[in-house]
Amino acid sequence: MKNKKKLLVIISFFFVVFFLNFSFAVEPDEILENKKQELRARNISKNIRCMVCQNQSIDESNAPLAKDMRILIREKIQDGKSDKEIYKFLSDRYGDFILLNPPIKLKTLALWLLPFVFFLIGIYIIFNQNKKFKKS
Amino acid sequence: MKKKILLFPFLVFVLVLSIFFYLLLIERNPSKIPSNLINKSFPVFEAESLITNKKVVSSDIFENKIILINFFATWCKPCRDEHDFIMQLSNKKNLKIFGINYKDNSKKTQVWLEDLGNPYSDVLIDKNGKIAIDWGVYGIPETFIVNSKGIIKYRHTGPITKKIYKKIYALIEEAN
Repeated sequence: MKNKKKLLVIISFFFVVFFLNFSFAVEPDEILENKKQELRARNISKNIRCMVCQNQSIDESNAPLAKDMRILIREKIQDGKSDKEIYKFLSDRYGDFILLNPPIKLKTLALWLLPFVFFLIGIYIIFNQNKKFKKS
Repeated sequence: MKKKILLFPFLVFVLVLSIFFYLLLIERNPSKIPSNLINKSFPVFEAESLITNKKVVSSDIFENKIILINFFATWCKPCRDEHDFIMQLSNKKNLKIFGINYKDNSKKTQVWLEDLGNPYSDVLIDKNGKIAIDWGVYGIPETFIVNSKGIIKYRHTGPITKKIYKKIYALIEEAN
């Protein structure tokens, strides 16, 4: 019984740690005084892939390049650039790969549509099997 | 009927397997990201020259010649490894090589170039990594070939090896 409780505590600990992933890498010297601008910078950073670590956003990454990009984004915001302009600036240089949400283009159409196609195929198979099952 | 149904997933499986095999066999590195700047004009930037200490505008350095841009730093070991190849390329006529000194100590760079030789027509200082971002650089060393019209034709990420040297050499010959 005691062991079970212990196990439960350990499991719930990992559960909490797993879901409370609040990590971010923004350093105090980077943060803008204007809270609105800072929020915009954070939002953009969350959608930009760290090109060094590749599976993290620059908001979470400690890589030097990610820091440079966070600073660059803040400078662009202070220069009065719009979010769209900033995304374009980065994707012009690094390609769409830098955007964590790939845009819907002819090239990425399969990426966006295939899940729905597979979903429909799945539904069709389930219905078909159901019919057969009922018949038998 | 049943046989037919079983044949279809089998064929799909074989197709997927052959695609995987094909991707395994061809020469490719999935962690390398293709440059978005290929066939586009070189980025406009301003930088201080390490050699003359003067400000240089990027449009000044492109003068109807083929240009090789090499991002390097003294703290980067692969940069040292590829230096010999860049020295060899510097003997090539009709080619100008520019170094972009990425987040480095200028004094150390000067000593480095004295020790290993200076293949660069000029070395531009990128103190905060902004020029690198302009070129879509994500890890040095990186090397670009810009043709005489100012269009970026090739990008290599990582050190120049013998194989890459041959490729670059051929590309320069082709562009001439």
